Amino acid sequence: MIEFKNVSASYDGELAVLNDVSFTVNDGDFVAFVGTNGAGKSTTMRLANGLLKPTAGEVLVDGVPTTALKTSELARRIGFLFQNPDRQICCNTVREELLFGFAALGEEGPAAEARVDAIIERFGFEAQAEPYLLNRGTRQLLALASIIVLAPPTIILDEPTTGLDFRECVKVMEVVRDLNEAGTTVIMVCHDMEVVGDFARRVIAMTAGRVVADGATFDVLRDRRVLKEAHILPPQVTEVSLMLGRGEECPAPVAAANTVPQMVQALAAARGVEATTVEVEAIG
Amino acid sequence: MIEFNEFSFRYREGAEPVVRDITLAIPDGCFVGITGAAGSGKSTLTYAVNGIIPHCYPGDFYGSVTVEGCDTVDTSLTDLSRLVGSVCQDIDSQMVSTVVEDEILYGLENFAVPKDEIPGRVDEALAAMGIADLRDRTIDSLSGGQKQKVAVASVIALRPKVLVLDEPTAELDPASSVAVFDLLSRYARENGTTVIVVEQKIALLSDYADMLVIVDGGRIRFADTPDAVLAHSDELLALGVNVPRATTLVNALAAQGLYEGPAVRNVAGAAAVCKEVLA
Amino acid sequence: MAKFLEYVPGDSFLHRMNPCAKLIGAVLFAIACFVTSNLVFLVAMLVVALGLALYCGMGRETAGLCKAVFAFSLILAVVILLTTPHGAQLVPLPWGYIGTGSLLAAVTVVVRLMAAAIPLFLVFYVTKMNDMTNAVVKQLHVPYKYAFTFTSTVHFIPVFMNDMAGIMEAQTARGVEFDGSFVKKVRLMVPLCVPLLVGSVRKTNSAAIAAEVRGFNLRTRESGYKEYPMRAGDWAALAVCALLVAAGIAVALLG
Repeated sequence: MIEFKNVSASYDGELAVLNDVSFTVNDGDFVAFVGTNGAGKSTTMRLANGLLKPTAGEVLVDGVPTTALKTSELARRIGFLFQNPDRQICCNTVREELLFGFAALGEEGPAAEARVDAIIERFGFEAQAEPYLLNRGTRQLLALASIIVLAPPTIILDEPTTGLDFRECVKVMEVVRDLNEAGTTVIMVCHDMEVVGDFARRVIAMTAGRVVADGATFDVLRDRRVLKEAHILPPQVTEVSLMLGRGEECPAPVAAANTVPQMVQALAAARGVEATTVEVEAIG
Repeated sequence: MIEFNEFSFRYREGAEPVVRDITLAIPDGCFVGITGAAGSGKSTLTYAVNGIIPHCYPGDFYGSVTVEGCDTVDTSLTDLSRLVGSVCQDIDSQMVSTVVEDEILYGLENFAVPKDEIPGRVDEALAAMGIADLRDRTIDSLSGGQKQKVAVASVIALRPKVLVLDEPTAELDPASSVAVFDLLSRYARENGTTVIVVEQKIALLSDYADMLVIVDGGRIRFADTPDAVLAHSDELLALGVNVPRATTLVNALAAQGLYEGPAVRNVAGAAAVCKEVLA
Repeated sequence: MAKFLEYVPGDSFLHRMNPCAKLIGAVLFAIACFVTSNLVFLVAMLVVALGLALYCGMGRETAGLCKAVFAFSLILAVVILLTTPHGAQLVPLPWGYIGTGSLLAAVTVVVRLMAAAIPLFLVFYVTKMNDMTNAVVKQLHVPYKYAFTFTSTVHFIPVFMNDMAGIMEAQTARGVEFDGSFVKKVRLMVPLCVPLLVGSVRKTNSAAIAAEVRGFNLRTRESGYKEYPMRAGDWAALAVCALLVAAGIAVALLG
C-alpha cells in the first residue's frame, strides 16, 4: 500500500512541482496517472519509491515513511521501470542484467539463478545476448523483466509504451496485466489514453502539481471538466460516445459505450439487429 | 518531386538489406506519413531522402533516389541540405546553441544567407512555429514541445523544398504533439513544402497526411490516402501497425453490415458514421 | 539553478563584454594568480574574483564551483603538506615533517587555484556558446572546427552529467546503495560508465549529423551574423587584467 498524505515537493528548493497531493494506492490496484508533461506525474512516481523525499507531508509505503526506509528496502517493495531502458541496463549479457538486481540486494544464489532462468524462458530472451545490440522494444522488455524477476509487490511504470511499436506495446502491457492479475500492484504514467482505457482500473488525473480527479477509469475519462482541466482527450470510442450522447435521442448504451465491441453492440441493438461477437486486439 | 526507383539499401554492418525494391513518387507539396513496426526500415527511407544515406552511413545502395532531379548519391550532403531540411530524432543533441535565436541563426549563417535578409527569416520562422515569445530564452529552459518547435523553426528558416522529420513527437504529450503537427501542416500548405514524417502515432499521422506509407520488412505494403490505407485495418494490425480506434470501430461496423462506405481516420469521422447508423 | 557551465541569461557588464575580451581577461587573471606566491596578493585576487561573481549574479553557481575546486585543490594541498618540509616543525613525519612553511604552501595552492578558476568558469556562465565560438573565430582567427569542437564539448558536459544522474537514479531504484563511502561509491559507479558511454556515442554521432545537414561544412570566418566590436569597457577591462599580471610580477620580484 502506498499513501500520499498532503505531499508537496520541489527540486533544489525551488518552485513547488507538487502541491498538497493526497491519495492511497491499495494492494492489487491498477492505477494510471494522466496529464500533460510537467503536471507532476513523474515527480509523484519518484516520491512513491523514495528517490525523492517530500518537502512537506508524508509518503508511506506499507505504513512506513519513505524517509525511514533504506534504498534496498524500497527497491524490494517497489520495482521502477524508467522511461528510458538504456539508463537501467548496465551489464554485458541479458542473464547478467537479470541477475544484477539480486546482487544489488545481496540476494545472489541458486534461488536467484533459477528465477532468472525461468524469466529468460518466459520472455524468450537469448541469455548471452548483448543488451545494447537488442532493439528498443526488447531492451524495454529486458528492463521490465529485470525488475519483475525480483518479484516486488508493487511496480511503477513511467510511460512504459513510449517509443514502442504496436506489437511491442501489446507485449509489454500483457506482461503487466498478467502481473496485476497475479496480485502485483501496478502504478503507471501513461499518455496513450487507449492503453489507459484498455488496462487501468483507476485513473488519477493531474495538472500543475495537483490531483484534479481520482476514480474509476471511465468515470474520470468521461468527465468533461476533468478532460478540460487536465488537457487530455478520452480514448477515441469514448469520445465518439460522448459526442453522440449530446444528441437528445441517443440510446443510453451508445452514450455509455467505451470499447469497440460495446459500441458495435449498442448501435446494432438500436437498429434492431443482433451483432455477432466483435473481437478487437487490445491497445488503440 | 521525390522519386525512389527500385531503391534497396544494406548498412555496411548489416547482413540483410533494411529496405528493398522501393519505388515511390512523392509529388511536390505532399504531406507524407511513414509508419511501420520497429525495424521495418521506415527511418532508412527518410535517410535516403536527406542524404544521410549513403553520405553518413555507408553501405550497399541499389537503384536510385532523386530529390528535385538531384540524385542523392551524386549530390553532396551539403548541397542536398539546401533542398531538404531535416529534423533528427534526438532533438537535445542536435541543438548547437544556448539561446533560441542563435539556434535559428545557425543554418542561415552557414548557408550564407545575405545578412540583410537574416532578421526577416528569423522572425518568419519563429512566427511560423508560434514561438516568437521564446526568442531570447535558453534552450535548456524549454519544454519538450517547445524544443521541437525550435528544431523545426531552425530548419524552415532555410526555406527547404522538402522537410524530413524522424519521430518528431516521440517525447511529447498528446497536446503538444497535435500542436507541432498543426503548425507544421499549416506552414507546409502555405509554402508548398513537401513534408515527410516518420511517426509511430498513426492516429495523428492519418489526420494530417495526404499520403500514408506503411513499411513492413523493408518493403512498402501500402502507399495511398489515409482513408484507403486504413480500410485494411485488420491487415495493418497483423503487420504490427497500430490503427486509430475510431477506424477500428467503423471497420467493425462495416463488417457487421451496419455501414457501407469509406474508412474514417478520426473521431469526427467515426461520430458521423455512427450518427448515420443511428438515423 | 543553472547546470554546470551553462549560460545564465543576464545583463551585467560581464554579460555585455566582448567574448574574446572576457576570455583573454580571464586567462590574464589566472596568469596573475600563478606568477606570485604572495598569499596576501592571492587572497586579494580571490576576493576580486568572488566580487565579480556576485556582481553578475552568479553567486549560487560560483558557490557550487568553489566547492568542486576546493575539493580538488585540497587533495593537492594534502600532498604538498606531506611532502614539503619547510619552516618551523609542527608535526614530525617518518620521512620528514610538516612545518609552518608547508602549511603556508598548502593554503597558497588552495587560494590560488580557486582565485584562478573562478573567472575562467565565470566566462561560460555569462557568455552564450555561439557568441564565444563566433567571436574567437572572427577576432582571434581560431579555425571554426576547433572552436566548435571545444564549445560543443563544454555544451555536452551538463548533458552527460544529467545522464549520469539519471543512470544513478535508475540503479538506486534497483537497490544499489550509492550513499556510503567515497571508495564504495566510485566502485559502484564504474560499471555505470558503460550505459553512459553508449549514450554519449549515440548522442555525439547524431549531433554531428544534425550539424552537417545544416551546412556545418560551409561555415567560414565570415559566416557569423553578429558582430563583436571591442568597446572602451572591454579595453579597460583588459588593461586592468594586464595591470594585475604586472602587479603579480612586481609582488613576486619584491617579495
